[in-house]
Amino acid sequence: MRLAALSQLVRLSLARERKGAFFSAFGVAMGVGALVFFLGLGLGVGRVIRERIFPTDARLVDVVPPAVSLGSFLGGGKLDAAMVERLQALPGVEKTWRKMNVRAPAASLYNGDFFGRKLRMGMDVLAVGVDPGLVEGDVQMGKFVDPGPGQPLPGLISTRLLEIYNNTFAPARNLPRLAPGMLVGFTFPVDFNRSYVSAPLPNVAVISSQVQVVGASDRALLAGITVPLDTAIRLNREMGQDTETYSGVTLVATSPGAVPGLVAAVKEMGLEIDDQERRLAENVGAAVALTTSALALLSILICVLAAVNIAHALSASVRARAKEIGVMQAVGASRADVRNIVLAEAGVVGLAGGFLGTVAALLLALLIDRLAGSYLPQFPFKPESFFSFPWPVVVGGVVLGLLAAVAGAWFPSHRAAATDPARTLAG
Amino acid sequence: MIRARDIVKQYRDVDGTEVRVLDGLSLDVADGEFVAVVGPSGSGKSTLLHLLGGLDVHYQGDVEVAGVKLAGLKDKELARFRNQHVGFVFQSFHLIPNLSAVENVLMPSHFGSASPEARGRAEALLDRVGLLAKKDRAPVRLSGGERQRVAIARALFTGPRLLLCDEPTGNLDATTGAGVISLFQELHREGITLLAVTHEERMSSAAKRVLRLKEGRLVEEPRPALVGGVS
Repeated sequence: MRLAALSQLVRLSLARERKGAFFSAFGVAMGVGALVFFLGLGLGVGRVIRERIFPTDARLVDVVPPAVSLGSFLGGGKLDAAMVERLQALPGVEKTWRKMNVRAPAASLYNGDFFGRKLRMGMDVLAVGVDPGLVEGDVQMGKFVDPGPGQPLPGLISTRLLEIYNNTFAPARNLPRLAPGMLVGFTFPVDFNRSYVSAPLPNVAVISSQVQVVGASDRALLAGITVPLDTAIRLNREMGQDTETYSGVTLVATSPGAVPGLVAAVKEMGLEIDDQERRLAENVGAAVALTTSALALLSILICVLAAVNIAHALSASVRARAKEIGVMQAVGASRADVRNIVLAEAGVVGLAGGFLGTVAALLLALLIDRLAGSYLPQFPFKPESFFSFPWPVVVGGVVLGLLAAVAGAWFPSHRAAATDPARTLAG
Repeated sequence: MIRARDIVKQYRDVDGTEVRVLDGLSLDVADGEFVAVVGPSGSGKSTLLHLLGGLDVHYQGDVEVAGVKLAGLKDKELARFRNQHVGFVFQSFHLIPNLSAVENVLMPSHFGSASPEARGRAEALLDRVGLLAKKDRAPVRLSGGERQRVAIARALFTGPRLLLCDEPTGNLDATTGAGVISLFQELHREGITLLAVTHEERMSSAAKRVLRLKEGRLVEEPRPALVGGVS
């Protein structure tokens, strides 16, 4: 049977069964729409968690020395240059980035103009030095190297810290909201070996410095400043602290698949993995995925009900059209033709329902994003969109509508094909 | 045109009794013949027509129509046979109610090979049966005779050489029925083979040969005298 003839027969049939077709398509649209909507919501929220709240790179492994180390006895656990070399030599390691804490408390007392507002504020800060390569993509001003004594220290701030500042601290203190670019070049004082809350190192002089913000980075320390590794080493040396061992090393795996092997190898070396943030991200992500799955399952159930409804409607239609089917057979329709006509009718209904449901889900998501943007108060990590609709979800929604309808039409189509023309046309 | 041998058709009745409705029936119809098969209701006339037209394949015996042996044909081959070699005309017309007259006539075109002239041919056939002016009307807006003429136009659409007619005037009044019979006679003169099952004398009197279906077999019957208006 030709496609043009099939489409014409389907069009004629659907025109007659307009009401039933509408309700069948509506059922499919409900199921598909709900599924696409909830999947889009789950993926959107998951994306916010992955990319903004806990931005983790699947290839990164953060190695830290063990909290309680027997390394000196067992030949492991000390994160010094030799150990870094051993880590670099592990199979599956592409790069290693060293980190060293500034091993003294630090405090900042700011008293001056802060983007047009008068600000006087003091607070303790942490400082960590990192290999420039770890953050090279985020440095927007100058080179991320130690400038030497007496010069402003290049510092990176955490993008997440900036997000929290913008959406909680700034509105509460009537301070301006800041884009990352605005902060580049901003300088503030930091005194090393000074603290408002903890005891400074004994017999060590305070080192007063200026820190100049050179960018914002996901890889920067959340509650503190990130400076070049050489700066941290120099400060520690000036304060008589350990400059031989590192606070941590970030390994870059050749691929995400190499990470589990690396983790095992690192643990065998007597070191630990700092995966607290990754685990938190995974747990939150799992909770979102679980909720999304439950809602998706509910939506699929609606699709199944829509398929049952189509099966019911088409069964009734096939019974009512038995004579018409008999006539088609008398003028040349084969059983396959009859079956294809019924399946194509359902296919059109399913495609229409799938398309409308998907469009409705996209429009509803757009509406919710607009309403959230206008009426929800600002909060940290508030996304511009709560939804994510990759093309497989959109296309999958339409295809699911088609499949649900065709599945529903399967038995009615076979029943129609089994129509005995001699019996139905008799009399 | 038709050659049937030793046809046996039986079915089980509602009370479980086996009924042999055709019992060793044989039939020969030459090209261009106009044959009427008569017999009481339930004698198996329609069943015979369905067998010859490839609508019913559950029987014993051999049937050859228009040079095609029906036994063993696959469903698609049988469908093609019905589309190309046979036209059916039913007592109840069996037009599809939501299609216009011309769309009903076009129905066989959906299952045959594509032709850009299909609509023109359908309109020409409607013109031939005197219904071109009503081509866009739904069956419900046509009289019984008009519906049957649309059904005949549909049966002729693919140009079959055989028309199988099941009580074609059974639902028509005398005047309308006479018009339809005239149309059949016209088709017969053009060389189309007609096999009509009927229990109406005016129809059988128009045929050139009359067969009676009796106890599952066909017997020749003298042709009745012509009834008024039909020649």
